[in-house]
Amino acid sequence: MSYRKQPKLLGARVRRVEDPRFLMGKARYIEDIELPGMIDAAFVRSPFAHAEILSVDVSEALAVPGVIAALHGQDLSGRVKPTVCDAISDGWQSSEFPALAIDRVRYAGEAVAVIAADNRYLAEDGAALVDVDYEPLTPLASVEAAQEPTAPLLHKGWKGNYFYRDRHAGGDPDLAFSNADGVLEIELATRRHGGIPMEGRGCIAVYDPIERVLTLWSSTQIPHLIRSELANCLGLPENRVRVIAPDVGGGFGPKSHLNPEEVAACVLAMDTRRPVRWIEDRREHMLACFHSREHYHKARVAYSEEGEVLALSAEVTVDCGAYSVYPWTAALDPGMSLFIMPGPYRIRNFRCETLAVATNKCPYGAYRGVARSANCLTIERAMDAVADALGMDPVEVRKRNLIRDEEFPYTSVSGFVYDDTSLIESLDKVCAEADYEGMRERQRLAREKGRLLGIGVVTFIEQTAPAVDEGVPINFRYDSALVRLDPSGSATVQLGTHSHGQGHETTIAQIVADQLTIPLDQIRILYGDTQQTAQGIGTFASRTAVVAGGAAHIASGQVRDMLAERGAHLMEAAAEDVELVDGRVTVRGSGTRGLSVAEVARATYYHPELFPFGWSPLLEAAGTFDAGHGTYANASQIVLVEVDPETGAVEILEYHIVEDCGRMINPTIVEGQIHGGVAQGIGGAFFEELIYDEQGQLLTTSFMDYLIPGPTELPDFRISHLETPSPTSPNGIKGVGEGGAVAPYAIMAAAVQDAIRPIGNVFVNELPLTPERVLGFVDRAAGRTDREARRSG
Amino acid sequence: MDDVLRQGVEIRLTVNGRKHREVVEPRLLLADFLRQRLGLTGTHLGCEQGVCGSCTVVVDGETMRSCLLFAAQMDGSGVETIEGLADDPDRLHPVQQAFWDHHGLQCGFCTPGMVLTAKALLEENPEPSGAEIREALAGNICRCTGYVFIVDSVKAAAETMASNAPRGESP
Ligand code: FES
Ligand code: FES
Repeated sequence: MSYRKQPKLLGARVRRVEDPRFLMGKARYIEDIELPGMIDAAFVRSPFAHAEILSVDVSEALAVPGVIAALHGQDLSGRVKPTVCDAISDGWQSSEFPALAIDRVRYAGEAVAVIAADNRYLAEDGAALVDVDYEPLTPLASVEAAQEPTAPLLHKGWKGNYFYRDRHAGGDPDLAFSNADGVLEIELATRRHGGIPMEGRGCIAVYDPIERVLTLWSSTQIPHLIRSELANCLGLPENRVRVIAPDVGGGFGPKSHLNPEEVAACVLAMDTRRPVRWIEDRREHMLACFHSREHYHKARVAYSEEGEVLALSAEVTVDCGAYSVYPWTAALDPGMSLFIMPGPYRIRNFRCETLAVATNKCPYGAYRGVARSANCLTIERAMDAVADALGMDPVEVRKRNLIRDEEFPYTSVSGFVYDDTSLIESLDKVCAEADYEGMRERQRLAREKGRLLGIGVVTFIEQTAPAVDEGVPINFRYDSALVRLDPSGSATVQLGTHSHGQGHETTIAQIVADQLTIPLDQIRILYGDTQQTAQGIGTFASRTAVVAGGAAHIASGQVRDMLAERGAHLMEAAAEDVELVDGRVTVRGSGTRGLSVAEVARATYYHPELFPFGWSPLLEAAGTFDAGHGTYANASQIVLVEVDPETGAVEILEYHIVEDCGRMINPTIVEGQIHGGVAQGIGGAFFEELIYDEQGQLLTTSFMDYLIPGPTELPDFRISHLETPSPTSPNGIKGVGEGGAVAPYAIMAAAVQDAIRPIGNVFVNELPLTPERVLGFVDRAAGRTDREARRSG
Repeated sequence: MDDVLRQGVEIRLTVNGRKHREVVEPRLLLADFLRQRLGLTGTHLGCEQGVCGSCTVVVDGETMRSCLLFAAQMDGSGVETIEGLADDPDRLHPVQQAFWDHHGLQCGFCTPGMVLTAKALLEENPEPSGAEIREALAGNICRCTGYVFIVDSVKAAAETMASNAPRGESP
């Protein structure tokens, strides 16, 4: 037998171990699960954005052959607790989110009743026959409408239509503003859109009346958190609620909530004693899967003649829709904005006021790059505005303001401790990779020929695996891993997180393989079943590589130490004299082959007599890793676009990315995460918009009118890496899941503005940059007021 | 409800080389027929509106969207789904193998549709350029990958398929 040293897997471009089942059509997504006796649910949804419910009549629906049960809000009232997800703040107003609307609907698409039938076709037939009598109320379909003094109040006991208002200040902004060489004001808007995974939401609820166990299969990123709130709503102990997340066809945040439909499906299952499946269609998804990104920012920026930003004062308003969602609360985006806006810059005076407005729109939830993309837009556009005001290059302005290497760890004006990053190096590197000087020259030559080329530059810092200790109902600082070595010497690792495209079955195995020195194919990574794994939190916020990776590293390190100790005992050596190399426990420097991991494992489990009495025969450990408030990744990007001033079309000619997510577990997977994140960001920058009319009707309910970027809309991204190890986490790992999605809004706004500069100066401040909006900016740049003027001009 | 909707239609068709004879409701979608009746759940529904391409199958040699077809229309047809490409991870189709080797998938939901569409492209155009690959896949949406590694995968599959093709024969 050869005695080869196992290469370190951390950092290797290992091919994903989970792929064959997906490639062969054998994955198990929620809709692929068949249970005996299963019936299908279809929801009746409100056609009104705001209305009283006068009555609900399900009798005709129940008469349809094959329809088995019906439920509406009154049936659940008093029996199922509504979700109350409150932030802890003086500026917070509490509200209830019932599984099915009881006496009032607050958004078009809100679930009012549910029908269960032998199959989905019959359930929809039944749902179409449910008779709901509504009394329409004034729809509040925008933040302005909701804040009118005459607007009806959306929730009981409220003083105004907002969930949350808060403020934060650091330094002395007033003094800095009065001493500044210049002050500028900007306003920005990012319109509502969302994560929109290719697989919609769905669940199967099963109740076992003998064991009194409720099982919910759900297409979710957060099985444990779902279990807690489901148990709370239904009044069950958590040991009788089991949540299983099977393969999930994309998460991105929208699948990190408890959905009201899931609670209703559980009640149906308890009532009918049949497994109840709910699989939403795309229209339901657009209407009712929680939306994101609707930010309105106003900012004042004080700067010096040298281009130093001295103070930032901002007002952040977020249209949070009708309800506060579990587990995030409606303070998710506005709350985070209070602290993250200064970004990677040395801004010492900062003030932010934030407002979470309640409107008659779909509730607001998490989406990859929560609050960061909008805040990156504001701070980066502020840098561009300062550069323009002073006639400086945008790269130069950034360099003058970026936190310098020697300042890390750096405490930001809002109190965040940035652990370590490569801000300036990443900006230098992306300029080199993109040949920034050369690109400017190409732009000049193209302009001479009448072509509108624009360059955008962005640099940002991102708190990965973030957590806060105050103000939130649940603090997400840690996650868990259980590592078990079996008698054959192979390992099973159970994670508290979930993988839905991120490749954790591979990356976490890479971490464990390095600890146990056994081959990758002897490690199995399991997750997604609350009955099997230790308490966990879930996958979101660029956290799993950090917290679950950290937990798996710690737990497998403990198992490695147990192996070494038992191996040493078997070889009659001192524990400190042995080492684990290439799957064998050997006495250091002895030149002997020692014992294989399998030999030690087998002896431990089946020959306890070989060890001192009382030594545990279990080679397993549970580990957690607490990342505190997180660890900071960073990136710089440069883009080159061309704008067609006649059609408003924007073509992305080049997209350069330098990212630093600390030490990479698997660079190929990192690159895939960046590609996907940037693609989604580009979607929000150019195409994706959930448009409501004044009545609160959603006008974009299909992929025909809500455009997701396809292969011909996206460029080949050019990525290179920096690796500044995290001082916070084991192995120096930082998160990378969201990073790609943070910058595209800011970079595209900058690039489009730069492209149309030969026509005139205009501040590009509203996204998505649809052809219509681009033409609007072209017109304003040219001093025309509308398209007509433009045509006749 | 109209009784005619409930009347069964008898169809005979071949799916992945196996003959089937089934009675279906006229309104049963081909996608639901494949998934529910035959248990071929590799065909996914991402929109049911004919836009996303997740439900792509091959009908009589042409890629089609199974969410826009009724099972009743399939009488006499031959249907190929993702499950027909390989039954062992060690014997994947070159397109599947290339997606694996080049990280052409993340959550995997769009993957069956992507693989079948890419395979059809390569059967027609064995040496596509990057732009041709993007054009051919334009009707398939992937929310995870940003397409870069999908394009790389298809290029790599083209190379393998070219080198596997018997000499002297056109591929
Ligand atoms: S499900 Fe058929 S095209 Fe989307
Ligand atoms: S891999 Fe998830 S949609 Fe394509």
